[in-house]
Amino acid sequence: MAMAVFRREGRRLLPSIAARPIAAIRSPLSSSDQEEGLLGLRSISTQVVRNRMKSVKNIQKITKAMKMVAASKLRAVQGRAENSRGLWQPFTALLGDNPSIDVKKSVVVTLSSDKGLCGGINSTVVKVSRALYKLNSGPEKEVQFVIVGEKAKAIMFRDSKNDIVLSVTELNKNPLNYAQVSVLADDILKNVEFDALRIVYNKFHSVVAFLPTVSTVLSPEIIEKESEIGGKLGELDSYEIEGGETKGEILQNLAEFQFSCVMFNAVLENACSEMGARMSAMDSSSRNAGEMLDRLTLTYNRTRQASITTELIEIISGASALEAAK
Amino acid sequence: MASTAAVPFWRAAGMTYITYSNICANLVRNCLKEPHRAEALTREKVHFSLSKWADGKAQKPVLRSDAPAV
Repeated sequence: MAMAVFRREGRRLLPSIAARPIAAIRSPLSSSDQEEGLLGLRSISTQVVRNRMKSVKNIQKITKAMKMVAASKLRAVQGRAENSRGLWQPFTALLGDNPSIDVKKSVVVTLSSDKGLCGGINSTVVKVSRALYKLNSGPEKEVQFVIVGEKAKAIMFRDSKNDIVLSVTELNKNPLNYAQVSVLADDILKNVEFDALRIVYNKFHSVVAFLPTVSTVLSPEIIEKESEIGGKLGELDSYEIEGGETKGEILQNLAEFQFSCVMFNAVLENACSEMGARMSAMDSSSRNAGEMLDRLTLTYNRTRQASITTELIEIISGASALEAAK
Repeated sequence: MASTAAVPFWRAAGMTYITYSNICANLVRNCLKEPHRAEALTREKVHFSLSKWADGKAQKPVLRSDAPAV
């Protein structure tokens, strides 16, 4: 089969062969046909390699372009992610971060990207979310998932589709902004019941380092309960409350606002990590394409030279045979 | 909760603090002078699609788009 394809290609390549009667090529028994087959095959293999080189070169162009795009997007989103860190830091100073808190109803908010080709960032958040699920599930305890982004949805759908309550996609269509994320946070708050929200995302450290991170947002009731026990949250009572609001109301407002702020930061950090991961993934794939291209060029030149050498030998030996016959 | 005082009017209307603060923020944005106002309003565009899940299946997604602080 392959030989037939080669021969057909060879005919197109070498019109001198194609001009010969097809019947001769079809019968592989005669010696002259075999020679033709070999000849065709020899030049054909360079043709195949040449096509392969062309496609590798095109792929390399694409990956290079993707890397450039990711780099420029990264620069835009990185500044905003770093600025948004100021939003959650006061909350952590005030309410603390309690990743190990033991509550009945946990909701894991998994943040991922809509598009692929960005390394392992989506699979790490999914892994962490699953670990959180295992840690927090148990008798009389419930864990549910809220999934942001197409990729984590596709992975989580396979094994935990019964625990998903909400999924959100197309978040990245406009540049990320607070209004958008807060509407999203609002929708999540309205649709799930929780004692603790655990937001899983990739925190951006540098272009090559992303830490899968969990931020915990507690519900006001849990904060109140914890503050009665004491510890970090016990200091809440030392704050004076102005106006006619009670501690419970203040805590509820705070928890809601904390969630939207933490979400905002998490979404930005995740977008930032996505771009960084895509950049390094595309960088290594264009490097790989370059290596492959080098190897292919070497093979191509080697075959070409070999065929030239053989032809030369054929011509010379033919000429000397004629000379000897004279 | 030891609250006996009336809840704030916006919470009585079924809003969360986030919605309330968004409406306030939007009011402030509308108070800006013209070149800044248009810029601030175009910056805060909302677009995402949200789908609820039931029985392990996604239901029809709801598109939330270009409606800051409904």
